[in-house]
Amino acid sequence: MIKVENLVFNYPKNDVPTLKGINFDIEKGEVFGFLGPSGAGKSTAQKILYKIYNKYEGIAIVDGKNLSDWDNTYFEKIGVGFELPNHYLKLTGKENMDLFASFYSKKPVKSIASLFEMVDLSDAINKPVEAYSKGMKMRLNFIRAIQHDPDILFFDEPTTGLDPVSAHKVKQHILDLKAAGKTIFVTTHSMATADEICDRVSFIVDGKLQVTDTPKNLKKLYGKEALNVELYNGELREFPLKNLGRNEDFLSFIQEDDVKRMHTEEATLEEVFIQVTGKALKV
Amino acid sequence: MKKILRLALVDFKIIFRDNSLKGMLGLPIILFVLILWGLPPLVEKYEFLAPYLSLFLVIAVIENTQAFSFISTMVLIDEKETDVAKVYGVVPLSKLEYILSRFLIPYSFTFGLNFLLFIVQPFFEISIGVNLCISLLAAFVVPVYALAINSIVKNRMEGMIYIKAFNMIVLLPIVAFFVPEKFKPLFGFIPTHWIFQSIENATLGLPVGLLLSVGFLYFAVCLWAVAHLFIRKHFT
Repeated sequence: MIKVENLVFNYPKNDVPTLKGINFDIEKGEVFGFLGPSGAGKSTAQKILYKIYNKYEGIAIVDGKNLSDWDNTYFEKIGVGFELPNHYLKLTGKENMDLFASFYSKKPVKSIASLFEMVDLSDAINKPVEAYSKGMKMRLNFIRAIQHDPDILFFDEPTTGLDPVSAHKVKQHILDLKAAGKTIFVTTHSMATADEICDRVSFIVDGKLQVTDTPKNLKKLYGKEALNVELYNGELREFPLKNLGRNEDFLSFIQEDDVKRMHTEEATLEEVFIQVTGKALKV
Repeated sequence: MKKILRLALVDFKIIFRDNSLKGMLGLPIILFVLILWGLPPLVEKYEFLAPYLSLFLVIAVIENTQAFSFISTMVLIDEKETDVAKVYGVVPLSKLEYILSRFLIPYSFTFGLNFLLFIVQPFFEISIGVNLCISLLAAFVVPVYALAINSIVKNRMEGMIYIKAFNMIVLLPIVAFFVPEKFKPLFGFIPTHWIFQSIENATLGLPVGLLLSVGFLYFAVCLWAVAHLFIRKHFT
């Protein structure tokens, strides 16, 4: 659905390019994540793909067509969930949604009321957006991005500013959109979010992609397949996961005393990120 | 067309929900009251004001444009400050449609105000044709002013500073009325100069064709330039 080759982008006043020849592709129906610290080039790559920045080098093909060859109909195909809330504060949530819905030729699949209900904003539908909390505005961002039923969705930090319950719901909605066959490109610095929703992720640092793979593979590749066991007597040992049930050493160890703690040594995505890039994620 | 009207009407909702913007809609009413009922007795009492009547008309015309220049500028700055402008960068609305929708009502309204002003003012006989042309030309101040400021400023604070500066610039060609004839063309680089001179000639019964032609051409160039600059900056 999306293919990017040797993408280079330089902001006019910068000496060094923000994107330094990145390559990636996103399959139809895939949730693809760009992970990296602030300033790594995540949002810039997205902005090129939703045609805000046009002066780039390299190739970007979307749905079989070069990005520069797409006219305004491109925006019928895509939906963008911005990183920060951006609404008319003097208008109500419904008026905001109605206005932006009016620009699309396709009629919304879901009614505006049901979209508000989907993100628990039904009570606020007729309130001016200036009375919304940041989390409510972010949820409004989310439903505005999907209201015209686009095939391709770009979400920039989709869970930023949301409480854990709302963040969980948004992640679930993204998975629902994937199940409906949508292609989704997410940028985030939240490794947990990426781990939960992305089929594949790319680590981007200083405008370069360091690695691209599934979260599962990355964790397997950079983690240890071992079990860490701590007993109440203070003894602590590590056992390989392979043939654990037949490991006499392990079986006798856990009979020595009650088990206080037991966990696998699988790396988190954040640990993998640090190992791969040599950098910790700073927001 | 439906898209354009929809956005144009939303602007009105925003204006009526913002007290400072709503208040600006009262400015033309004050101007009409002054021209219709304030100025005639004043000129009658102080005869030395009579030669300056065309100047009063010039100021009234330009002040009529200022109501929507201010309103449109502030609506667009607000859109930039709240990042709503970015959303317009990713919807199937062309930049031309966007600009048309933002200025359709302000332009028409400003044109209507000045057209009415020329009809109801009690001092000069101005033909409908000349009235129409001058009113059409003067209304171009609104998009040029609002797009120019929004191509420069980043927020409301900067906007207020530039609004003050632009208010002075649009009125600056008034000085041309007080300088020797040979220095008048010096003010030609300010687009409003051509409106002012057209009005003066119209009030004196002199030809206005050339002045209006230069004015339309100059405003077209200015509008094209600021629209390009605005499109480059507003949606990113």
